[in-house]
Amino acid sequence: MIDRILLLILFLIGFYGIIVKKNVIKKIFGLTILNSTIVMLFVLEGSKIGSHVPILEENITPIVDPVPQALMLTAIVIGVCVTALALSIVYRLFNSTGTFDIDEIRSKLYKDEE
Amino acid sequence: MADRMKNNKISIFYKLQIFLAFAAVAAVLLPVFLNDSHWPVFARDYLEANGEEQTGAANIVSSIYLGYRAYDTLGETIVLLVAVSGTIGIISFTGKNLATGYNEDDFEGGNRKNRKRTVLMEVVTGKLGPVILIFGLYVMLFGHMSPGGGFQGGVVIASGIIFISLGTGGSENNILSHSGVLAKIEAVSFLLLVLASAIGLITGIGFFANPFNGNPIPPVGYIILLNAMIGLKVGAGIAYMSVAMLGDTDL
Amino acid sequence: MITIILVLLIALSVFTLQHRDLLQGVVALSAFSLLSAMLFYMLRAPDVAITEAAVGAGVSTVIFVWAVKSTDRKDES
Repeated sequence: MIDRILLLILFLIGFYGIIVKKNVIKKIFGLTILNSTIVMLFVLEGSKIGSHVPILEENITPIVDPVPQALMLTAIVIGVCVTALALSIVYRLFNSTGTFDIDEIRSKLYKDEE
Repeated sequence: MADRMKNNKISIFYKLQIFLAFAAVAAVLLPVFLNDSHWPVFARDYLEANGEEQTGAANIVSSIYLGYRAYDTLGETIVLLVAVSGTIGIISFTGKNLATGYNEDDFEGGNRKNRKRTVLMEVVTGKLGPVILIFGLYVMLFGHMSPGGGFQGGVVIASGIIFISLGTGGSENNILSHSGVLAKIEAVSFLLLVLASAIGLITGIGFFANPFNGNPIPPVGYIILLNAMIGLKVGAGIAYMSVAMLGDTDL
Repeated sequence: MITIILVLLIALSVFTLQHRDLLQGVVALSAFSLLSAMLFYMLRAPDVAITEAAVGAGVSTVIFVWAVKSTDRKDES
């Protein structure tokens, strides 16, 4: 129980990084922390019902649940794709506005409309 | 916007918005994180009894994502392909910041810019790179019976190619950090992956079905084949992206 | 032991989000990935541990370092 409360705190820290921080790179840090937290939650839950790794050998019976591990393997690789794409978009934004602050980026991009 | 934020009333409103967002997320996620029901065991029991027999792989995780759920793996490789090409495209649209040969406007090639490199980094990364490549091949090809598989081995191979590219310093010295070679390896291995998935269509047992049934090749051969294709594709794609990004930066 | 690793992960994530120097934040995020790989190993998921160590501590760090070095390193806000 204490582990899952700590994971909830970790999730809220990542969420705080996304919605409160002004720096765009720190928003991507928050996104990475969110992704890792969800992976940890699934693997922690799946490891409750066994005591051995899911590689079959002789006389090793209660293995952990392999289904969450196979799903989270996909999630990690998709996570690095999201990170790379977000960083390239941030790089374009920095080249055209010269700042990382999300408010300044908005005021510079929509200067003509206001 | 910065002027408006100095207004006190709007600032209180902004903090209230953030507080409400936190409260909503916590209220939604609290039952999810604190759910104390028993984890179901029937999937584990079924896979433990039948997994090795049906797919041939002793590593049950590998038998799931290459045997039972192979569609997911194909979609994941497509997502990786789109992400790599989108990243390279977005950066090279303006960029002078990729390595020589990767930018759109100087695609004729040319000498890579001399980077600041120390002897320590050159020795460590250049000599450690081939060892990491061999370890990546081991992880990739033995994914059916030990921890590892296509994705893990591919990413380790990409790390090895990044090390070689950092250590030897440029496209003149080795062929692995050349832009065209990596892109061609990625394209060809993705084509081979799609062809390997379509073997079952020709023999009439379905898409992504295992065509090897023991004579002469045991069923685990299909897992090894798919692992090798996915590993080459993932490794070449991620190494392409990373080598392009590292090229013009003084690390 | 798992609880200790989770507390360390919380400390590292707070350091990553609060530090002014973005490059040190990237290094802290890399350490975060390594610690979570160790956590996966202790939770009997060696496949996920290898993936997290190679992706999170290797490739993701390379991409972040590229982005920070080719733009701006300081966080003024």
